[in-house]
Amino acid sequence: MNWKSVIVLAAAILMAGCGTKENFVVLSPTNDGSVGALKVVTEKGSEVLTEDGKAIFIGDRNSAPSTPTPINAAETQLVFQDALRVHPLMPESFILYFQFNSNELTDESKKQINNILVAIKKRQSRDISVIGHTDRTGRDEYKRKLSLERAQLVYNILRSEEVTGEDMTIIYHGEGNPLIPTADNIAEPRNRRVEVMVR
Amino acid sequence: MKKTASHCCLAVLLICILPLPAFAEQKVIGKVKGLRGLVSIQRDGKTKPAFPNDRIYQSDTILTGSDGAIGILLEDNTLISMGPISRVSMDKYTFAPATNEYAMRLNMQHGTFVYQSGLLGKLAPYAVELNTPVGRISMLKEDTSFKAKFAENAQ
Repeated sequence: MNWKSVIVLAAAILMAGCGTKENFVVLSPTNDGSVGALKVVTEKGSEVLTEDGKAIFIGDRNSAPSTPTPINAAETQLVFQDALRVHPLMPESFILYFQFNSNELTDESKKQINNILVAIKKRQSRDISVIGHTDRTGRDEYKRKLSLERAQLVYNILRSEEVTGEDMTIIYHGEGNPLIPTADNIAEPRNRRVEVMVR
Repeated sequence: MKKTASHCCLAVLLICILPLPAFAEQKVIGKVKGLRGLVSIQRDGKTKPAFPNDRIYQSDTILTGSDGAIGILLEDNTLISMGPISRVSMDKYTFAPATNEYAMRLNMQHGTFVYQSGLLGKLAPYAVELNTPVGRISMLKEDTSFKAKFAENAQ
């Protein structure tokens, strides 16, 4: 055995021993399948990761990160399965619309209620915001009151044995925070709304 | 004179009502959403077990036991979960769209991490700073989500 092969062998043993696969980063695709981009910087260099299915491996702080290297998807799944099992669902937001100058939901929005209840159940959510809004017609005090009434109406619809009052928070804005910014006194149906945020 | 006295009273009252400075720094940054096994939160030098729906504060350190796992929802909808024998400290977190202030610095000390980008990653990906035992991870694009693993003795 010559010197060269001893060095190669020693390096191989060293790498296996250090477990170069102990530290790595891999991108996760979003819902539409696209991935972002990130950079890993150590004391000895940096690497950019832009592709799904590849990982950057890092030996330690004092070595350069690997170039993006293909990684087995099933293996990755296995490494992160415990974390994935408790990974929360992304909060979901619903917008319910109201008839003009009223605290009556539009027929279309009445059909959304069930979707909200499903989202609450899926998350076992105890963290629901019910946020009332109006358009810019009428006096300020009236608009604030109307936005509160609208939020309260939705709160009462959602409230049940499973979804208690303690799980929900009512917020009301009057004409503030419009979905569609308009001039004053404009009747804009899309601003007559209650947003329900399920976390 | 009477007025001054009442002002003094008010000042004393305010001092009594106002929280202690150490307490004022406790900023809620998120909530525990998913939980399995034993998970602990270190806060102000004390360690307590974590429960679902518990609040997470800035400067908290979260550790999972050998059967533990935790899923956290931050204020901006960033989702972070960790598997067993993992440890993260929430060093800095600011999410204030109204004043355009964004910051997130986490120290992923060891373990398995699943990181799903939220509004912060959409509005200010460059404000996200993730320290690990072997180096730093930074975002080059909005909506960057990743998984990472760091060995307990790595450095």
